[in-house]
Amino acid sequence: MAKIDLARLSVTEANKLIRKYGAEGENVDVLNPDAKHHIGVGLVHPINVRVHGSAGYFCAGLSDGARFEVENNVGWGLADNMLTGSIVVRGNAGAIAAVAIRGAEVIVHGNIGSRAGQVMKEGTLLCAGNANFMAGYMMYGGRIVILGQSGEKVGQDMTGGTLYVAGKVNSLGTDAKQIDLESDEDDEIREMLERYQIPFNGSFQKIVNAGEKLHYSRNEPRSRSQSFFMASGTSDYWNAKVQTDIDIKAQIGRYRIRGYGATRALPHLADLAFRKDLSQIPADGEVTKKIDLKTEIGARNGAEPIKLSMPVMIAPMSYGALSKSAKLALARASALSGISENTGEGGMMDEQREAADQLIYQCLSGRLGWNIHDMQRANGLEIYISQGAKPGLGGQLMAKKVTEEIARIRGIPAGIDLRSPSRHPDVLGADDLVIKVEEFREATGHRIPVSVKLGAGRVRDDIKIAFKDGFDFVELDGLQGSTGAAGNEVLEYVGIPTLSAIQEAMDALGEVGGVEEMPVVLMGGIKDGLDAAKAIALGAHAVAFGTAAIIAGGCIACLQCHVGQCVVGIATQDPEHEKRYQTNVEAENIHRFLEGVRWQLATIAVAHGYDDIHQLDRNDLVALTPEAAAITGLPYEPGYRDTKPQATRKAS
Amino acid sequence: MTTVYSIDRVAMPPAPKQFADDTAELHFVPAPCQVACPIGTDAPSYIAHIWDGEIEKAFEAITATNPFSSICGRVCDAPCEPACRRVDSDGAIAIRNLKRYVMDKLGTSHQLPVKEVTRSETIAIVGGGPAGLTAAHDLAEAGFAVHVYEQSDRLGGMMAWGIPAFRLPQNVIQEDIDRMLDHCPGISVHTNTGLGSGISLDELKKRHDVVLITIGAWIGKTMPLKGSNGSDAIDGVGFLREVNGGARPEMPETVVVVGGGDVAMDACRAALRLPGCKKVKVLYRRGPDEMPARLDELEGAIKEGIEIVYNTQPVAISPAGDGYNLTCIQTELGAPDEDGRRRPVDVAGSEHDIPCGKVILAVGQKAECSELDGHKLMEWDRVHTEWESMRTEDPQVFAAGDGAFGGSTIVMAMQHGHRAAYYINAHLDAVDAPMPYRTPFRTRAVKIADDAQWEVFNRHEQDFHGVGAEPVKFPEIETTYTDEEARKEAARCYRCDAETGSTDYSVRNREDIFVMARTNKNDVKTQQAIFRHRLENRDNPFGENRPADLQDLVFLPANLSRLVIDPYRDACSVNTTFCSSIELEGPFMVTGFDAAPEQVTMALDEGLRQQGAAYLGARQPADGVSWVQFIENTTESASNRADAIVYAVGKEDFAKLDLPEDDRPKGLAVTADTVSEAVPFALENGFHFLLTLANGRMGSAESELSGAPDLTVLRDVMRTMRAMNREEDLDIIYFGGLRTGTDAAKLIGLGANVMVLGTAMGLALGGQIDGATLSYDASLSGEERIDRTKSLLRGLTTEASIMARCTGKTNIHNIEPEDLRSITLMTAEASGIPLAGAVKK
Repeated sequence: MAKIDLARLSVTEANKLIRKYGAEGENVDVLNPDAKHHIGVGLVHPINVRVHGSAGYFCAGLSDGARFEVENNVGWGLADNMLTGSIVVRGNAGAIAAVAIRGAEVIVHGNIGSRAGQVMKEGTLLCAGNANFMAGYMMYGGRIVILGQSGEKVGQDMTGGTLYVAGKVNSLGTDAKQIDLESDEDDEIREMLERYQIPFNGSFQKIVNAGEKLHYSRNEPRSRSQSFFMASGTSDYWNAKVQTDIDIKAQIGRYRIRGYGATRALPHLADLAFRKDLSQIPADGEVTKKIDLKTEIGARNGAEPIKLSMPVMIAPMSYGALSKSAKLALARASALSGISENTGEGGMMDEQREAADQLIYQCLSGRLGWNIHDMQRANGLEIYISQGAKPGLGGQLMAKKVTEEIARIRGIPAGIDLRSPSRHPDVLGADDLVIKVEEFREATGHRIPVSVKLGAGRVRDDIKIAFKDGFDFVELDGLQGSTGAAGNEVLEYVGIPTLSAIQEAMDALGEVGGVEEMPVVLMGGIKDGLDAAKAIALGAHAVAFGTAAIIAGGCIACLQCHVGQCVVGIATQDPEHEKRYQTNVEAENIHRFLEGVRWQLATIAVAHGYDDIHQLDRNDLVALTPEAAAITGLPYEPGYRDTKPQATRKAS
Repeated sequence: MTTVYSIDRVAMPPAPKQFADDTAELHFVPAPCQVACPIGTDAPSYIAHIWDGEIEKAFEAITATNPFSSICGRVCDAPCEPACRRVDSDGAIAIRNLKRYVMDKLGTSHQLPVKEVTRSETIAIVGGGPAGLTAAHDLAEAGFAVHVYEQSDRLGGMMAWGIPAFRLPQNVIQEDIDRMLDHCPGISVHTNTGLGSGISLDELKKRHDVVLITIGAWIGKTMPLKGSNGSDAIDGVGFLREVNGGARPEMPETVVVVGGGDVAMDACRAALRLPGCKKVKVLYRRGPDEMPARLDELEGAIKEGIEIVYNTQPVAISPAGDGYNLTCIQTELGAPDEDGRRRPVDVAGSEHDIPCGKVILAVGQKAECSELDGHKLMEWDRVHTEWESMRTEDPQVFAAGDGAFGGSTIVMAMQHGHRAAYYINAHLDAVDAPMPYRTPFRTRAVKIADDAQWEVFNRHEQDFHGVGAEPVKFPEIETTYTDEEARKEAARCYRCDAETGSTDYSVRNREDIFVMARTNKNDVKTQQAIFRHRLENRDNPFGENRPADLQDLVFLPANLSRLVIDPYRDACSVNTTFCSSIELEGPFMVTGFDAAPEQVTMALDEGLRQQGAAYLGARQPADGVSWVQFIENTTESASNRADAIVYAVGKEDFAKLDLPEDDRPKGLAVTADTVSEAVPFALENGFHFLLTLANGRMGSAESELSGAPDLTVLRDVMRTMRAMNREEDLDIIYFGGLRTGTDAAKLIGLGANVMVLGTAMGLALGGQIDGATLSYDASLSGEERIDRTKSLLRGLTTEASIMARCTGKTNIHNIEPEDLRSITLMTAEASGIPLAGAVKK
């Protein structure tokens, strides 16, 4: 039995040692824990760890297989995301005990704080005392046993799993109901109580999901997206699009849902032009060799940076929203072009890990598919705060796409209209975020960069917080970002345009002296190397392609991603439709698209006489619209609009 | 020629001005199927018209560039189909059969308008095949008198003489020719008049201003066969000519056809149907993937029982019994030859004999004409012709089609015809250097087929009948779709030509991405062309003076710097207390139904009652519905039933208003003209609320139809109250142009407490916009109208509350101006909300 004294070692050093002993199979005693945060985080070996005293936040979090025991109390986030293994707490636990566990047994002899078992998927939380409000909040599976009082709103918005309450049920949460208990369930609980030597003679009340909110009550009539192209500007106020919209809402009584992003015209990078006339550049087959586009990102805090062959990433998109075949095509293309792929919300697939060279692993509020093993094999970790398509809202996956396999990898019940939580259980404010990021770093030995994905809203304020919280980089997503499913109004009207976002971000970083220190990766409606070069000139360190990469890989932009029967096999989980997608062919297509982007980036930089793409400067640009000028502060020079091709166009 | 992903497609060369071409339109990029069609058929439009049931419009789109539409509906080699983007998913759209569906319906009955002769010049066309007749058609349409000289007794060329009736019945050919001749009375036909045999070139040149040679490639090529006497293997086109002339010669039991093209397919299938024939083998020297025949011809032949022997070619022939021994050798694929196909190489020692009764060679065709030889216009087996001008060595003589450029397809021959007609026309107009011809691409911009199952329907193959009950009569092998089948097939179209409504991913942007994804990184010329295309900046999407619009406001979501709530789950109160006395379940009132039909108002009132919304108007609503009485006249008095009263009078009448002395809320209507007087007046004279009329007036649902609301009214009301430091003293009802719950949430942010629905509710209740009014019919039941009233109110309320929640609010009335940004300068000005991103420190 090894002894680790936290009076003498930092938590980081201690965790390193614990993992070392774990690998060697030696049990550990932690002395003088002093309620420090992150004790035992990231441990993946089945050893016994005894904490002689109280632990702080996230004790035993992001771990798999170990058996912990804490002699006194623990802070919030006890056993966060623990896969297997167990933890016994002799005293009380703070809020969100057993948050997002996926199989562990969490035993608290005293009381537990609010929102215990939030978004848990599998395993048991046993509390011998009383629970505070909203125990079982948004839980997807597993069981919570409370021997004392349930607290208010028990089972609030739970999707699956079961709560057993022996004491008073103070009040039931939304979409929870009380039902009768089966005798074998009772036997199982008592067996467990005996195993953990907790005496109990009472009886249980059982609480499960009532099933009222798992599906939208009325289905939206299916219709193909019509080309209301000009509706957002020049046509009549009560145009066909508006009329159709009202007609459908008068049938379904709620907001409409679709795929893709904002469809209407918004200020865009396309409203900027290069001062330099690039139209007469001779075709140069060697241009990509004349400039080094290599870009590293994520070393701000000493982690191993993500290495990109050019300042381009694949934007986060989930397996779930997209088919496995489409995700693999993106992963392969990213590797072929030497850039990074991103898991999005849906967890990491083995094939995806294998196919991608650089893979960023996203952590969302529902912790769907999130686990320590995939964290440790990722090249980057990313905390999703929001996305450009639907900032302020969690992911949305309509029932048709929540198949058995998707449900398994995410740890949720199949066949529900999945609306992921919109905020992290353990991040209520900027200060929580710092501790959360620290947990990730602890769990991965400070080896992997941690980024934040932000939908563009109050970018000026948000980016300063991201900077202060120490993120290695920010993925900033404007209003033009797309998604597999979201309310139409949110897609169109929540958030600010990508162009405004990068401007505000750079203004804000300028104010806090962070321009050089914290890179911004811009995304949301970026379609080609020209958009990318303009973004870089405005200060982005790199850009990410989502929709454009999908289109390169065969998407026809019908905006019906939410339906789940994608005609080309991209946004579907239906095997009949997915088999239409030829992963190898489309991987090559996406790769060629990315190489086209590379050619364009290189051509622009070389034409300007630069030897580094990041030498592109905002003064290389002019604004073509008054809006773009007002947003960027660039001179309004409509004369730079290429008049030659326009002249041949008929008025539309 | 433009191909689906070529540079030409990225940088489409300009089309001659007189062409019907839409490629300069911002919102049009021709679909791959249209680009693949040598004559630019607007397939997406005709397919969409089939779905719409607009068969006559489909007919127009089909026939616009194709005088042989009925023929093509059956036997075009349809290069559109392999180009179709759905081909990789679950099969291309059956574009050809959909064409046949339309032509079978209208081909004989539907005529095109008559084009009279208007020009004095005349043109001779030698050869009545698809190239010659297409040129004749175009030139006749241009007003010229055209004389077609045809050596045989009928028009159609290879279409009539080369394709057997089981694929193309004679009456279908006649149908197209009759339609063309009716459409173009300027075309005179001289049958049985061959060049040389019937009339000399000199004579033609004397009689006509221009001569176009479209003599086709009528002579079957032969191949060297050891031991052949020259007549033991017959040629395929000759065989088909005989059969198409009506002959049904007796066949031996086994027939061998040599070749892998369409002639080979037609010959083998024709032979199979003739008396005596039991077995037909096709020998092809390459493999199935290299076979030039259209795939469904090949599949049809196989289905009919024809054996295809690949990688085999005959080398010698010798008599054996009643028939022959055909000595063959196996081949394998070697290096690519000059046309890019891999050359077959003999496998040494693989000789073997195939016994048969007849050998038909279908190994290519050539042109022959001694008259042209005499004029030194031939070069080997073709008429010597310059592609760039379609001219021969003789300045008065042009040429086109198979005779000039070698054997090809009907649709290519038609392209040659169009092309030749273009250059002849330019020549006769004395244009020295005409713009290079290119296939024009038109769109009819048809709405996308709206079938919910379009992603699911698989390609539906037309019924195939094979040789039929009486093969020797050559019954047709296939039938076309039923109406329902056609509609389903049409619904499958991706509509690559159409915008789907996304500005960012417009057709133009998507197609550029598609081309980037299919261009090799080392193909520098194409990379450059794409780059230049991408450099074309879009027009200002807002114009310089786009009026302010509610939709040009956006919300700022809560992220890191504001507490996030969960919009899917966390409660957000939508309850609205108006003037501390009227309780509403959402922030809505409804107006505009004072004069609506009773069925409508009854349902509306019931919906309002159930959903807890108020009615604002002169009409007293049903019991249980809160009523804000609208009074436009100083002489009118308030009803006792009214829960609140609002006065909409000119500012000159403000002083004349006689308010009832009770506790009910009283309001004053404000327009852009009255803000400065009305706000202080209301504040100083005991009013409780203002009704801002952003469209200037109200009273009917239609007043909103005048256009976008004027956002400055609300802005100025709020500014005036703020300036007087009495912002909280009056409630605000807003009316004008409210379309969504999002609009409502924005208006709350701008200062309103209650929003009034007019036109939006009218539309929900089944109203149709009819000029400046809304009209109702009986298509909805009362129950449906009640449900729709409630659903719209609920739907808009949810939308508004989602917006509130996205900004982190738990009560919709907490939305503030600070939660909003503008995306246009005009909207920023009119609403007082700053432009997103433009706010500096």
